[in-house]
Amino acid sequence: MLQKTITDIVSDRMSGLRERVMRAKPSVCTERALFYTRAYSENEDQPVIIKRALALEMTLKGMSVFIDDGELIVGNQSSNHRAAPIFPEYAVDWLPAEMDELAFRPGDAFFITEEHKKELTEIAAWWKGKTLYNKGRAIMSQELRDLQDSSIIKATGNLTSGDAHIAVDFYKILSAGLNGYLGEIEDYHSQVKRSEQEGVRKDHFYTALKISIRAFQSFILRFHDLALEKCSTEKDAKRSGELAFIAANCKVISERPPENFYQALQLVYFVQLILQIESNGHSVSLGRMDQYLYPFYKNDIITGRLTDEFASELLENTWIKLLSINKIRPWSHTQFSAGGPLYQNVTIGGQNSDGSDAVNELSFLILHSVGKMKLTQPNLSVRFHKNINEGFLLECINLISKGFGMPAFNNDEVVIPGLLKLGVEREDAYNYSAIGCIEIAVPGKWGYRCTGMSFLNLMRVFLATLYDGLDKSTGKTFYKGIGSFDGFESYDDLFKAWQHQIKYYAGKTVEIDTAVDTAIEEYVPDILCSAFVDSCISRGKTIKEGGSKYDFVSGLQVGIANLGNSLAAIKKLVFEEKKLTWKQLIDAIESDFDGKEGEKIRYMLMNFAPKYGNDDDYVDLLLRDAYLEFIYELEKYHTTRYGRGPIGCRYYAGTSSISANVPSGAVVSATPDGRKAYTPVAEGSSPSSGTDILGPTAVFKSVSKLPTEKIMGGVLLNQKLSPSAISSESDKKKLASMLRAFFCDLKGWHVQYNIVSRETLMAARKDPENYRDLIVRVAGYCAFFTTLSPDTQDDIIARTEQTL
Amino acid sequence: MIFNIQRFSTHDGEGIRTIVFFKGCPLRCSWCSNPESQSFAPSLMYDSRLCRNFLECIATGSEAVKRGVNGIEIKETSDSEIIKLKDICPSRALVVSGEEKSFSDILSEIGKDIPFYRASGGGVTLSGGEPLSQGPALTDLLTELKHRNVNVAIETSLHVPWENIERCINLTGTFLADLKHTELSKFSRFTGGDASLVMRNLKRLSELHDDIIIRIPVIPGFNHTKNEIEEIINFVLSLKTIREIHFLPYHNLGMGKYRMLGIENSFESVKKVETEEVAGYINYAESKGLIAKSGG
Repeated sequence: MLQKTITDIVSDRMSGLRERVMRAKPSVCTERALFYTRAYSENEDQPVIIKRALALEMTLKGMSVFIDDGELIVGNQSSNHRAAPIFPEYAVDWLPAEMDELAFRPGDAFFITEEHKKELTEIAAWWKGKTLYNKGRAIMSQELRDLQDSSIIKATGNLTSGDAHIAVDFYKILSAGLNGYLGEIEDYHSQVKRSEQEGVRKDHFYTALKISIRAFQSFILRFHDLALEKCSTEKDAKRSGELAFIAANCKVISERPPENFYQALQLVYFVQLILQIESNGHSVSLGRMDQYLYPFYKNDIITGRLTDEFASELLENTWIKLLSINKIRPWSHTQFSAGGPLYQNVTIGGQNSDGSDAVNELSFLILHSVGKMKLTQPNLSVRFHKNINEGFLLECINLISKGFGMPAFNNDEVVIPGLLKLGVEREDAYNYSAIGCIEIAVPGKWGYRCTGMSFLNLMRVFLATLYDGLDKSTGKTFYKGIGSFDGFESYDDLFKAWQHQIKYYAGKTVEIDTAVDTAIEEYVPDILCSAFVDSCISRGKTIKEGGSKYDFVSGLQVGIANLGNSLAAIKKLVFEEKKLTWKQLIDAIESDFDGKEGEKIRYMLMNFAPKYGNDDDYVDLLLRDAYLEFIYELEKYHTTRYGRGPIGCRYYAGTSSISANVPSGAVVSATPDGRKAYTPVAEGSSPSSGTDILGPTAVFKSVSKLPTEKIMGGVLLNQKLSPSAISSESDKKKLASMLRAFFCDLKGWHVQYNIVSRETLMAARKDPENYRDLIVRVAGYCAFFTTLSPDTQDDIIARTEQTL
Repeated sequence: MIFNIQRFSTHDGEGIRTIVFFKGCPLRCSWCSNPESQSFAPSLMYDSRLCRNFLECIATGSEAVKRGVNGIEIKETSDSEIIKLKDICPSRALVVSGEEKSFSDILSEIGKDIPFYRASGGGVTLSGGEPLSQGPALTDLLTELKHRNVNVAIETSLHVPWENIERCINLTGTFLADLKHTELSKFSRFTGGDASLVMRNLKRLSELHDDIIIRIPVIPGFNHTKNEIEEIINFVLSLKTIREIHFLPYHNLGMGKYRMLGIENSFESVKKVETEEVAGYINYAESKGLIAKSGG
């Protein structure tokens, strides 16, 4: 029996800690910004990589450290729980401009003191013209800047923060220990040929690595010292003992590999933390935690050193600590990531490389402990496969029925063959994990941003297609078309015009990514993160320089369902049935369906044409073909790492568009699917709100007709169920069997569930104080509902509520 | 004629099912929750709440509609006048319920969810209306489903000639057979039908088929008394093999449809029956050795 009976009762110390972190008002912490600014200004002559190592060192040695009451797992990102550090080297211009508004944002507000405002103003002045954002924009052509300013392609998030979207090699970290890394680095460093230009660069890299790892070690030792100090003054004997234990753990793992589960988990948390002090990229993920921690767990259980209760408590503590990490983004990017999540993914389940089920006791414990905490972090993903332990699957559904959107499922049956086809080695393909929301990568072997580069607004491209390439929102023709709507005599003409436009925009997303990558590589290289990814150390390269074993990235395409529905409406009503003329249609969308006639046309577009999500080949295949035009074009390009080491260096499609459907819709006028101007577009690969009227099996069928094996950046499907829909055991079994059919037969890529009633959401919108802990799936991640902006709240409420 | 094909039904038989609703029924039960299923011809349904006054329906010149004070009014008329209105209303306030579909069309719709039937032990449920009033071609559909190994359940009033039942017996997995009342006069008064035909058919069917679930609608004013239900159960006890008894407490979710069809309904003000109210019936059935539950 793999399943353990663990109590649902949360210990006092964990519930106290949870409450303190949940109640902590998000705020701004300036410590890191001050240290980085000082280190940069004192070391201006140094190569950037050394400068960054020294800045990290100064921060880790000087920043506040604290151990909160009851904590068993320690480590803090900033001076307080949920206080967001500032990363001025990426972008800081926006801060003085927005800081007076931070506390009053409609969603994701941050508290900031007047003193911090003053500090940040000075910091921002020093960084003027020196940030990644400044330099990245400067190396872009005017066309690329215009495209971004037009909102057709959005990449702001990529120049205002680091890359991340990565999981590091925890197997190696836990077996080598930090001294192991130092030894390996030293070996390679000693072989560097300084007579060669390449050698000079490698010399800097290894030097920076050593500075950073040693700084990391001393950071851990600071917690050793602090724990000892607290231990000596602690009156409570039990707590004093715990503090002594914490000190001992920190001592061991600051140098050597962990000796037990507790130490292993503590080291994992430190690594997770440090990566988010080095860089502010989000979606730093923990990989397959139930696998790499299992040997420690098993050994401790066998020798009687660990109980499941205590293991669970340590895990719970870790989840709370993940929530205490925070990130502040400019408002322009915040809207794309509603709820302020960091998307720290934990993946459990899946298969071993021989195809056997990898579910173990720890998978159950992780699942259960996440359910006990009911927090937005970690983002829990389960790898589904056809031989998955049935009891485990039912436990997953039990957790889903608790209504905070976890776990999400990724499907081995489509992901693994997809990876093998890309040239990923078998052993690695079977070891993939989810990153961030639903994206995937092989932990510790994959470069940054398996997804998360630029967002392409498909509906803006589609509208430009109708006007010979003219983007009516800006009045600019970015790419001259091959005709406009009044010249299209058949659907084929329309489709050819689409092909023409989408190829241009596909190329431009890559150009923007290339500019961003070039700037990041040159100006803000990550050091520690590179150390923990295979094969950066042996190649003497950062990840961005081509250090990783694999390199595949995806951008995000937004408005999938709207594209299919618009194509189908035009094909059917304008070309086939001739119920509408082009003029009628264009007048209607240009006037946002104004007047009686406009309203009538809107209803015709909505009700007289097939909609994606209802298992209707008519629209589903039009969508597939239109999307494939983008995908084929994208496949022609390479990343900046091409020819520099990694396998792949290619792009693929992705629909893990987080909450981008709301801001993306806000810049699109009315569309031929009957969507009103500036309302949200459809989310991920899910159907448009309220248009999937045949129930979840039909949605599954439609989604599975997308070329899922080519959309390795993720095929995001969000289904909403009311709590009553899976209350009985028989309903849960039916849901389990439905998932089996979706994944095994239809090769679905991903699905996640929002189990919450419409009434609850409406009540929460009115009375946020009483629904503080209401969690919803926004897209690929969970967020506290009451922290979302009203627009995003409305969008969630509007989505179809499926009933089982 | 079909009036709806509902996918992902989880409460009418085992597993995940697709329900095919046939149009046309020999009975006229006063409490019927699908009144649009009664006529064998297309029916016009008008939901005034959705009407946007586009008046596309009036523009067709169909005699089935005329302008009203607010929106439109619908009138009784010939089928051809009704069919003129099919897919005319942009806001779907006015819909024509009922569509002639070939069995191959139905089959392709049913086939779409086969992976879900397989995974869940589900299948197809033929419902109505009265599916067994659909004529001999129904067996073609059943034969093809059997050939494709799709489990079939039939929901039936059994108020049909015996031949209609007989030709389906070997092609059907489960019969969900209604037994509304055993008293002839009451049955006749509330449904317009003949209870003896139902009881005779049920008796014969139970001798030839071993997977029958009896469904007893619990209807206030009709059979919702201890004596009446016990009589019905006693009749069930006289049958050869019965798998289960399901009590279906009356609900009034179909009442809006009467308004949409423009017809009066005597059950307008009757309150729904709570699940607890059938607990005693379940106990009685169980005490007699039957497997009984509430709901489908």
